[in-house]
Amino acid sequence: MRPILLQGHERALTQIRYNRDGDIIFSTAKDQHICAWFAHNGERLGTYHGHQGALWTVDVDPTSTIIASGAADNTVRLWDIKSGKCLKVWNFDTAVKRVEFNEDGSRLLAVTEKRMGFLGTIVVLAITLDAEAEQSDERVMTISCEESKATVAGWSYMSKYIIAGHEDGSVSQYDAKTGEALDNVQVHELDMLITDLQWSQDRTYFITACKDKTAKLINARNLEVLKTYVADTPLNSASITPKKDFVILGGGQAAMDVTTTAARQGKFEARFYHKIFEEEIGRVRGHFGPLNTVAANPNGKGYASGGEDGYVRVHQFDKAYFDFTYEVERQARQQQQTAI
Amino acid sequence: MSKLANRPDWADDEDLDDTTNELPPDTQTSNRDGTKTIVSWRFDDNGRKVKTTRRIRFTTHREVVNPRVAERKMWAKFGLSSKDGKGPAADTTSIGENIIFRPSANWRKDAKEEKTDTGNLKEKLKDKQVKCRICNGEHFTARCPYKGTIAPVGEEGSGDVAPGGPADLGEGPGGLSSGKGSYVPPHLRGAQEGSGDRMGGGKYERDDLATLRVTNVSEMAEEQELRDMFERFGRVTRVFLAKDRETGLAKGFAFISFQERTDAARACEKMDGYGFKHLILRVEFAKKAA
Repeated sequence: MRPILLQGHERALTQIRYNRDGDIIFSTAKDQHICAWFAHNGERLGTYHGHQGALWTVDVDPTSTIIASGAADNTVRLWDIKSGKCLKVWNFDTAVKRVEFNEDGSRLLAVTEKRMGFLGTIVVLAITLDAEAEQSDERVMTISCEESKATVAGWSYMSKYIIAGHEDGSVSQYDAKTGEALDNVQVHELDMLITDLQWSQDRTYFITACKDKTAKLINARNLEVLKTYVADTPLNSASITPKKDFVILGGGQAAMDVTTTAARQGKFEARFYHKIFEEEIGRVRGHFGPLNTVAANPNGKGYASGGEDGYVRVHQFDKAYFDFTYEVERQARQQQQTAI
Repeated sequence: MSKLANRPDWADDEDLDDTTNELPPDTQTSNRDGTKTIVSWRFDDNGRKVKTTRRIRFTTHREVVNPRVAERKMWAKFGLSSKDGKGPAADTTSIGENIIFRPSANWRKDAKEEKTDTGNLKEKLKDKQVKCRICNGEHFTARCPYKGTIAPVGEEGSGDVAPGGPADLGEGPGGLSSGKGSYVPPHLRGAQEGSGDRMGGGKYERDDLATLRVTNVSEMAEEQELRDMFERFGRVTRVFLAKDRETGLAKGFAFISFQERTDAARACEKMDGYGFKHLILRVEFAKKAA
């Protein structure tokens, strides 16, 4: 496969998101604009300007009308995808590290940093899914993380729970209506930062990436660890691929140690693991720095990765990717066919 | 000095001589083999005129997409991209090199083999000990107690060692398997495969292996003619015809690079002695540049 290299940012990438149809990619970096790209040919649709600090996060609503972004300038902004206009600004006390729309796009959660005497919080905002509509200022709910600040968070199926990954390596479950803390499980090693949390397509389970060099597949209902993927490097991002039962992990040596290592030792590769068998099945090279974010295309035909080197690489999978199955999978399929 | 800096290098495109400040219009020609040649012009950062010749084969690939997606493809660009034309802009989007990605269950094993290959050199050097060239003791030659009293071991035997005295960088008897006297840089000694992971490494070597040197080429020859002639044998990646900058006439030799060495070998065999424009071509493999 020949990846498409996107050079829209001057600084390290922080997050990449596909929209639900998988035709547009949104990327944020530590420079101050968001880029929107067409996934099929890497053409840049546009850039969104207005933030005054490093951008940490972006998310797109399910209908691909608006995007939300969070930045180090303590704001969450809402943008019209088509025109690039900023629709709404919410101000917070500290930087916003993660935003995510729920399944129907009526709610937006924002994870704020713990800093300057303010506790880390998860704030829920009500969204009107229309580029013309007036958005309300009001915060529907605020969850304070007293023990350990949340680094990532997301909505489970039916917007039933809010799941948050914490700085201390634990994952907690909140009731999405009341904000009540239901559960907290130490899934990763103690005091290892959870760097990413991405959902399966039906949002019944999710994958976390952690600095303890593992990624875990976790059930959203009871926070049971379903699978563990062990890597040999701190992980920054993990994504579940639709269509094929794989997961993609991205990581690499910490950014500040990068200059002292050769490209190969730095382990700047996207790692593919089999989702069920927890076994590594291949790697994709290309970046010159650690991978900060990976995102699988919802149509299952490709993925994009963003690195500390400022590049986004968009890959379309080859036939070999779709053909790959384990012997047991093949046998099971044959048996099924003969049974019919 | 500034004059020199402004003058284009002789190796650059031959069309740089004209000094008009207008860009010629882009041209598009259809070739017989179904490809299109598109010539476009632009000024680079130093104000120099750059000619880009692209030879493109167009294949139409139809895909049925969701109407929502189709509508989005029609959207106008905005922000930093508002001035970009249709299609991907060259400054933000480029195509990376081909990556082979085959998922496999025994991926780890495959990778391990690769690793041992590159780790070879390291392992070889691991149990290497310091050895004195004078007395074979385990100390540096400079620290040898017998320094200056006895001749280095094996000096009589290796008569063809380049004169350099005991301070020369020789590796001791039998250290160099080549047996030749010429100096071999450390990174080329021993096994060839452990040559380190340079970025984009191997590009030039590969190029050299499948490159032919064609001499006794007519003055009137054109690169395109050569390309047509040699393309019969396989994919030609590069044709370089040396030309006189003043007169624009060919200097009489050219280099043809093939993608595959086998094609190059076949072309070498077939085209050596071929009559071209009243002259008999001489074709041989290019020697590696020193």
